[in-house]
Amino acid sequence: MNYMPGTASLIQDIDKKHLVLLRDGRTLIGYLRSIDQFANLVLHQTVERIHVGKKYGDIPRGIFLVRGENVVLLGEIDLEKESDTPLQQVSIEEILEEQRVEQQAKQESEKLKVKALKQRGLSVPRADTLDEY
Amino acid sequence: QAVHTRDPPQPGGLNSSIWDSSAMLRRIRGPLLAQEMPSVSVLDYALPQRPPQSRDEERDPSERALPRRSSSPIIGSPPVRAVPIGTPPKQAAIPNFNQQILCPKPVHIRATMQQRYPAPYGERMSPNQLCNVPNSSLLGHPFPHSVSPVLTHLQRAQLLGGAQVKLLPAGRMSPSQFARVSGLVGSPLPSVNPKLLQGRVGQMMSPAGGFRAFFGAPPAPPPSQLPHPPGPGSHLQNLRPQPQMFRPDTTHLHPQHRRLLHQRQQQSRNQHRSLNGSGGDRGGHRSSHQEQIRKDPYANLMLQREKDWVSKIQMMQLQSTDPYLDDYYYQNYFQKLEKLAAAEDVHGDGPKKERTKLITPQVAKLEHTYKPVQFEGSLGKLTVSSVNNPRKMIDAVVTSRSEDDETKEKQVRDKRRQTLVTIEKTYSLLLDVEDYERRYLLSLEGERPALMGERKQKICDIYDNLRGKAPGQDRLSDDHFMQIMCIRKGKRLVARILPFLAPEQAADVLMATARNLPFLIKKDAQDEVLPCLLRPFSHVLYHLPLGTVTSLVQQLTNLPQSAAAPTNLHLTAVLQNKFGLSLLYLVLSRGEELQSSDTNTELMQDNQWTELMLMATRELLRIPQGALAKPVSIPSNLISLFSRYVDQQKLNLLETKLHLVQGIR
Repeated sequence: MNYMPGTASLIQDIDKKHLVLLRDGRTLIGYLRSIDQFANLVLHQTVERIHVGKKYGDIPRGIFLVRGENVVLLGEIDLEKESDTPLQQVSIEEILEEQRVEQQAKQESEKLKVKALKQRGLSVPRADTLDEY
Repeated sequence: QAVHTRDPPQPGGLNSSIWDSSAMLRRIRGPLLAQEMPSVSVLDYALPQRPPQSRDEERDPSERALPRRSSSPIIGSPPVRAVPIGTPPKQAAIPNFNQQILCPKPVHIRATMQQRYPAPYGERMSPNQLCNVPNSSLLGHPFPHSVSPVLTHLQRAQLLGGAQVKLLPAGRMSPSQFARVSGLVGSPLPSVNPKLLQGRVGQMMSPAGGFRAFFGAPPAPPPSQLPHPPGPGSHLQNLRPQPQMFRPDTTHLHPQHRRLLHQRQQQSRNQHRSLNGSGGDRGGHRSSHQEQIRKDPYANLMLQREKDWVSKIQMMQLQSTDPYLDDYYYQNYFQKLEKLAAAEDVHGDGPKKERTKLITPQVAKLEHTYKPVQFEGSLGKLTVSSVNNPRKMIDAVVTSRSEDDETKEKQVRDKRRQTLVTIEKTYSLLLDVEDYERRYLLSLEGERPALMGERKQKICDIYDNLRGKAPGQDRLSDDHFMQIMCIRKGKRLVARILPFLAPEQAADVLMATARNLPFLIKKDAQDEVLPCLLRPFSHVLYHLPLGTVTSLVQQLTNLPQSAAAPTNLHLTAVLQNKFGLSLLYLVLSRGEELQSSDTNTELMQDNQWTELMLMATRELLRIPQGALAKPVSIPSNLISLFSRYVDQQKLNLLETKLHLVQGIR
């Protein structure tokens, strides 16, 4: 039942399991229960999934109300194919630890980069101080 | 009992729905679906909070304390006839009636229910349905305590989960529920009653939905078949005013969209029904429903009504007062697609395919005139600033500074800003002019001369803007034009304008460009946009007579020069620039064309041209090859041009230097 030909709508997606990517980088997986005209989402039985390398960990979060503007993309999860993944699920503690390690490593490399650039007299402006366009 | 909302008699009131559950009842005065509000008391508008009131019949505002100051945009706005699109739907009056009551209603509540309507599902009727049976006249007193409140979604979900429901203390219903109820009782389908539609866009779904739920009617019952319940029903019928002319505007759905919506509603209901088996098979109904609940007990938290509401908003967003203004790219894209499809259909042998199109209907603009709110029994009117009636708060006075104060820099900056403004204004005119063709096709015969006149006027204005209209002055200075040409957007603007200008005007522009070309070249070094002018220039050249062309060459090459000048900087600059050289070639080519084709050229002109050519070729021979730019294109008749004026040896030189012979490259 195509609601409107040529348009995209979330109405068909209600009550289905979705993966939602947010602007702050989080990945949420939950059942889409309700929407509105701004694409604000109500996610039910939500789980925040953290990916590090080939591992991932799920943190159960309950009910989420996501403001529409913070959604980057979302897509329906095929329940049959959901388990068919090369990724390995680990416990929450483990994945958080992995994430922390990854963040640290990134920060270190970033620091080195900035230092090297400074030595050469160049400076890359921080992303948050750049203009949007 | 901290929160009490006022519910304005108008549809829903913009703020009431959120606070419905604990609303105190307001007596509803007058017809529910009133169109006109005679001097509206501000108290009837959406003041957010009011102290509890006694239930008096008469309300005399003058006896009250001063009303609370409201910053609501509604006061001071025209009475809202249609609920704005963003208004969320009311809480479910008739939610999914198939839900199972896991927690039956306490006895003392049930006992006071007066069942006026046949209950198709018996005890399986949801509490909300029971509540909505009106047991008192809408004109009369508010509900007695015994009527149980409407359950919120949360409570429904709790019901489902088996939790005990805590009934609301006040036990009163808000008038908004009355409104819904009235929609239920004996109301024809919204599509038949334009009155209902007009006033109740946000609640459009409710009557239809509730209507079905209540009477368990077959998919499309004609209004006449509806059983009209006795008692309050007849009251309500009397209340309804005559249906008015349905004037479509941006707050109403286009008929096709509405049809789509209703189709969907029916489909979903059919699905629902078919899913649950026949009406009489209660057992089967229950089990399949139970199964659904087991699989996903939280399904359908979002009602069909609410889904329709969201898609209704989406469809409304397709309507606009001027599609070509609001949605230009989609309109053009769609037209292209249509043309392609039409072409395909013409060629194809098969039957024409029916493609569902998404229409973007054009809707008339609705004029809102602001009528200031007037208190009953007061003198004068309240003037409140609101979104529909903006008021000037600050008197900002522009003080023009004197010339002495400004520094040179500021002057330059201001001048540049002036030029930018001119460019923008001219662009608006240009877009209008470009659009005239389409409007012409859409207009009636009688309107066309007026359209043409308008268009001509706009073109004149464009030209004036371009060349710097100065009253009394005879356009002696190129300054204004040069300013425009220094800006990248200005150059593009000129390129787009040229096709619309008269030949003399276009020639004028060309001349001005040629005259100041080195300056322009210097300024264009960063943008490199000048080549965009080549195509329109060549079109212009096509229509120019020899005399103009000659003067053009003169301007371009800055010849004849005084004997004292050692080098021809002008020409050098021109030749070293891609655009300059290409333009020169174009002009020369045109001249050659004219020469060779037209045998009747005057002798004088001929001489001028010949002399000019001789000088030009001399210069060309002088310039070192490395200094030459790479032109965009080399016209083919340049060889024949030069062959007239130089001997063979020099001709060969020229050929190699300018890469005139195609094969060499």
